[in-house]
Amino acid sequence: MTAAAPSSIAPLLEVRNLRIEFPTRRGTLVAVDDISFSIAPGEVLGVVGESGAGKSLTGAAIFGLLEPPGRIAGGEVRLAGLRIDKLPYDEMRKIRGREIGAIFQDPLTSLNPLYTVGQQLVETITTHLSMSSAKARTRAIELLASTGIPAPDRRIDHYPHQFSGGMRQRVVIALALAAEPKLLIADEPTTALDVSIQAQIISLLKKLCREHGTAVMLVTHDMGVIAETADRVAVMYAGRIAEIGPVSDVIHRPQHPYTVGLMGSIPTFGHEKERLTQIDGSMPRLTAIPSGCAFHPRCVHAFDRCSRERPGLLPAGTSMAACWLHDVTGGRAAA
Amino acid sequence: MSAVLQGNPSSQWETAAHDVIVRAESIAKYFDVSPPWLNRVLERQSRAILHAVDGVSFEIKRGETLSLVGESGCGKSTVARLLVGLYVPTKGRVNFFGHDLREMSSQRGRHLRQKLQMIFQDPYASLNPRWRVADIIAEPLKAHGLMKDKAQIIARVDELLQQVRLAPADKEKYPHQFSGGQRQRLSIARALATKPEFLVCDEPTSALDVSVQAQVLNLMKELQREMGLTYLFISHNLAVVHHISDRVGVMYMGKIVELASRTTLFKTPRHPYTVMLLDAIPDLEMSGRARRPVAGEVPNPLNPPTGCTFHPRCPHANERCRAEVPVLKLYRHAGGETQAACHGVEEGRI
Repeated sequence: MTAAAPSSIAPLLEVRNLRIEFPTRRGTLVAVDDISFSIAPGEVLGVVGESGAGKSLTGAAIFGLLEPPGRIAGGEVRLAGLRIDKLPYDEMRKIRGREIGAIFQDPLTSLNPLYTVGQQLVETITTHLSMSSAKARTRAIELLASTGIPAPDRRIDHYPHQFSGGMRQRVVIALALAAEPKLLIADEPTTALDVSIQAQIISLLKKLCREHGTAVMLVTHDMGVIAETADRVAVMYAGRIAEIGPVSDVIHRPQHPYTVGLMGSIPTFGHEKERLTQIDGSMPRLTAIPSGCAFHPRCVHAFDRCSRERPGLLPAGTSMAACWLHDVTGGRAAA
Repeated sequence: MSAVLQGNPSSQWETAAHDVIVRAESIAKYFDVSPPWLNRVLERQSRAILHAVDGVSFEIKRGETLSLVGESGCGKSTVARLLVGLYVPTKGRVNFFGHDLREMSSQRGRHLRQKLQMIFQDPYASLNPRWRVADIIAEPLKAHGLMKDKAQIIARVDELLQQVRLAPADKEKYPHQFSGGQRQRLSIARALATKPEFLVCDEPTSALDVSVQAQVLNLMKELQREMGLTYLFISHNLAVVHHISDRVGVMYMGKIVELASRTTLFKTPRHPYTVMLLDAIPDLEMSGRARRPVAGEVPNPLNPPTGCTFHPRCPHANERCRAEVPVLKLYRHAGGETQAACHGVEEGRI
């Protein structure tokens, strides 16, 4: 239902022409180069790509936690119409946690080992919502219960090290949703977990976000997780969006040659394959991003235009793909 | 249909029986993780023994790939290390080409050691950053005294680099000049240097991105065909295991709970844990489906449940499961032959 890009509803998050740079002694590295996308209220947008594609940086930039020397060099980020990429530190602190929640890969580093989970939850709740600490504690217990932690009234006084990996990630989810944010940025939330626990965490995330109407930007390298969770998916390559579209279309009818290769390289149970599709070569380093389309040196369909001109996102089926193969106008009159 | 399925594997087993190159005979590895002596005396703490691997038996035939899957802490990497002799089993023995693996440390075992190599998970940690590629790949040749002549060694290094689809010119470089996938190729080249017959691969692709993983998996399959290699493949990724294996063993808390040919295991899983694992994987095919919720977590291995260690998470558990440890037994069914350690399967309940 949210599969098609909802143009009628005002987007909750709007990222326009975002560019993230890292100034170094040997010149400026462009880690994220001119990407635009939006997330509707309650929608789950998956962001996939291989390591170094810029997916986590995009998340960090939206959350206002880009580590220096990385900086937003261009474009804008709007949350419910309000521009948040240039906000002063204190203003952004009010939004972080309140309007945007975040879940990171390693649940142990997201929690303070010196405080009980209850103290951390109560702090988050009282900071963002006007609530007495007694009420906040009741709410914290409710939150822990809603994430499926057994005996929450006892567990609330335990320290993070007393929880297992899966339970810890549940605490982090409770913490991220404590102030009922409108947007949740989940950066590889299940990567550090075992498959059986991963399944539990994903269904929990889906359930809670549906109940609260929270929109999610789900950053992961795992297509399987995206397939199960997301409404739409953006495929990133070398700091750019290669393709964006409804999740089943991108998976079953990929339009960009990179997405085609990526999907073929994933082993599945469905069909027997002697060989996996192989994309030869490797992702370019940030110091040497090819001209034109960043994928052209590895692309089997590349022609001369690909190395000269960078393609924008063009309509391709129900998706948008940054590939000249989908330029129907070609050299002829533009529609 | 089922008769054909049953007839085929069993006849293969008999004809190939002499071709078993590795046999694990109820191997076990226990680790002493007790608190220090003083704490035990003063705080009356007891000894703690971790049963990382507890009575695992299997055979690997020449040219096949046996995979062991399981979640973290199930003991699969410990099995890998036992099989290459990095750990000495607490109980049981590993039989390699008809010799006990313990003989390998002797002078006589030298030729055996050459036939056995390992590929590790992290290609960043397993290559010496201060050595050139040529030295890294030539190390096993020198260590085993296989080649003395410099020109001969260089020729062999060039050949190995080409075998893993790298260029001979790469031998002058250092590991940091390569990407993750290329580094894993270097590890493979080093492992192939002594012309081994058996490779133990401990999560060789789990540190790699999917497209790079595809390159390495394709390479491993090609090398297996070209050189008739035998693999023990350790992974937590069931899709990868499905792609690469001939037979698959599923491990849970130090034991193999199910062992069958790949098709049989994935088409007709018998053990409830295997069923649960297969159900838990996010799959591209079933976009948007609701997962069956999986209950519980892996219990503390220091204090394992009684009877079948899976019983607290098993929907079919009964009194017998809580009391009696199930043993791995062979079952023939419509889907083929499966070895499973489950009372429910034995009683025909599952």
